[in-house]
Amino acid sequence: MSAVRLLAVGLVVAVGVLALPDAAHACAMCFSGPEESRRAFFVTAAFLTLLPLGMVAGATAWLRGKARAAEASQDSEQADSAS
Amino acid sequence: MSANSVAYPVEPQGRSPEPVRRKPVVASGVLGMLVFIFTEIMFFAGLISAHTIVRAQNAGGMWPPYGQPRLPVEETAVNTAALLVSGIVLFLSWLAFRREPASARIPLLLSIVLGAFFVYAQGLEWVALLREGLTLQSSNYGGFFYLIVGTHALHAVGAIIALGWAWHRLTQGRLTSSQLATVAAFWYFVVLVWPVLYVQVYL
Repeated sequence: MSAVRLLAVGLVVAVGVLALPDAAHACAMCFSGPEESRRAFFVTAAFLTLLPLGMVAGATAWLRGKARAAEASQDSEQADSAS
Repeated sequence: MSANSVAYPVEPQGRSPEPVRRKPVVASGVLGMLVFIFTEIMFFAGLISAHTIVRAQNAGGMWPPYGQPRLPVEETAVNTAALLVSGIVLFLSWLAFRREPASARIPLLLSIVLGAFFVYAQGLEWVALLREGLTLQSSNYGGFFYLIVGTHALHAVGAIIALGWAWHRLTQGRLTSSQLATVAAFWYFVVLVWPVLYVQVYL
């Protein structure tokens, strides 16, 4: 494909994207009727997104703290045995 | 982190060094149980989320739906208290085990009895609700109630069996601290997830 032809196709695609915008109706929590229902979708989506991230972060911090404490105690034991 | 991990100190003289065996940061059983508990938390989070959405979508905002029996909030509050006390007693048994393993027998047994009381009282509640017409198929309300509370009850029964196994080993003098910690972690999960379910389902 020549450069001019490629440019023409790109121009047509760009005009299509810019000139024909429309709302995407794929958001379950945006168009589901009553306010209470929409709020429930939003809250549960946030809850299910943040919960695993929080658990992984918490577990990592806890394990890191335990590892540091174990390392410090091993270092002090080695220092004691050396002296 | 593994029990088999070793460190090789550098010897300036070129002699073959003696490997230093490191203590595991967390016992393998406890780590495995924590991973399992994470998956269980996500499972219950999914159930809670589904319940929240169905409740919010219920016509007229009426919950429980018209014609469905009310859940026994007060009686279940007593069961909840028994379960929470069971968790506290298990923690006391852990402290006692660290001082002198044999002294943990009575608190561990008390924790099992309180847990068994919780499951028994929940069973009585189910029988009463079934008689009142609340079944798994009577409505979304009944379906979610039996699914969420029943799943928790299954976990409670499994954890009580595990605690019973731990108590049996303790009486034989064969229970290790990592075994007790593993079983206790599961029971703490069962105890701590229940108040969330209680607030969500009963209130």
